[in-house]
Amino acid sequence: MNVAKVLDAKGLACPMPVVRAKKAMDELESGQVLEVQTTDKGAKNDLPAWAKTSGHTVIDMKEENGVLTFWIQKG
Amino acid sequence: MVKEMTVQQMTEKVLNKEPLFILDVRNESDFRDWKIEGENFAYLNVPYFELIDGVDSIVGRLPKDKDIVVVCAKGGSAAFVAEQLAEAGFDNVYTLAGGMQAWSEHLHQAKVYEDDQLKIYQFIRVGKGCLSYMVISGSEALVVDPLRFIDVYEQAAQQEGVKITHIVDSHLHADHLSGGKALAERTGAAYYLMKSEGAVFDFEPLEQHETIDFENVHLEVLAVKTPGHTPGSVSFFVNGKWLFSGDTIFVGGLGRPDLGGKVAEWAADLYDTVYEKVAAMADDVIVLPAHYADLDEEINAEGYVGDTLGRIRARNEMMQNKPKDEFIDLVIQSANTETPPNFEDIVAINRGLKTVDIETQRELEIGPNRCALHHTHA
Repeated sequence: MNVAKVLDAKGLACPMPVVRAKKAMDELESGQVLEVQTTDKGAKNDLPAWAKTSGHTVIDMKEENGVLTFWIQKG
Repeated sequence: MVKEMTVQQMTEKVLNKEPLFILDVRNESDFRDWKIEGENFAYLNVPYFELIDGVDSIVGRLPKDKDIVVVCAKGGSAAFVAEQLAEAGFDNVYTLAGGMQAWSEHLHQAKVYEDDQLKIYQFIRVGKGCLSYMVISGSEALVVDPLRFIDVYEQAAQQEGVKITHIVDSHLHADHLSGGKALAERTGAAYYLMKSEGAVFDFEPLEQHETIDFENVHLEVLAVKTPGHTPGSVSFFVNGKWLFSGDTIFVGGLGRPDLGGKVAEWAADLYDTVYEKVAAMADDVIVLPAHYADLDEEINAEGYVGDTLGRIRARNEMMQNKPKDEFIDLVIQSANTETPPNFEDIVAINRGLKTVDIETQRELEIGPNRCALHHTHA
């Protein structure tokens, strides 16, 4: 996977992971992939929900040692 | 300026049936699943992540003349949205401190009864629909179905100047974590539970205690074995007057015998309980259950959730001369495959087979209660 940008949002509480993800995504081109790393459990549902309403696609997701990583493709 | 509303203040709004506008900024599925219920509350659900660039899209849908409380999971996103609303000129905006997590964990203490010999308090977990109790006599207290917030019971006992000496669980809970074991360890109280429920730690098996007596006033706690919800469900009949019915009988109906995968067998147990044991009890017995489904419907004029057995029977066709076969058929038809969230983990923890940290405890309990969900039909 070709990741255009990595956002380290670890340690940030809701709403910051999604707020930062949105700001990071605003700088990408359609089709590019943003990797978001977060430790906020609320982001597990909220990042995909935000991606969906914003027209982006969650390509993959993993949970490892308390860190959630999402790969989201800009729509 | 954004003001903060505490869960205590929110509880008062619910109990006093005050009008309030809830702007819930959690994602749509969380809102659909579970929200703050108030008879005169109005709602708007727009996720906070749709408001990152501003609140213009919702300004027209918010009242200017009514208090608005912004609610999210833990409080952070609500503050984020509320500040934007304040900047947009709203001066009637609050955030719910601690969000739905704090709402889920708040207990409201209501008085059920008081005389020289006896005092009964009900603890209403407003955000989740769980009820627990404290029965006080002389210098001792008995706690029924304690939740994991054991400080609340300790503080209540301290306030009353009594010692918690007895703790009972009406059954092994599947929807919330019991505080029984932790409270027993902290206070040294005896903890009673049916052995058949499968707990693996040390406790007093209710199978060996037909009665529990304490204090000079001979406050009798009679464990009437009432299977139905789980095979080891019991009710506690105090002084021939108060029936702590666990999840067997609710103000709005009967418990769900469908949580163990043996609905027909347990429905037969529930029938025997209702028609043999409960039928022999007087109409003026006061039923104090472990759950409710709809606070507005089930709270009485005195401010607690409970009703007389006579009125509960009169309202519920299932308790009126139903033939056993028909009763079982109706229960099977209304059997629900929707289980409480995370119930397998919760059961394992309540049995003492598993321990988890506080963060995991919170997550496991988040969401609505489903024990009493469909009880009006069964």
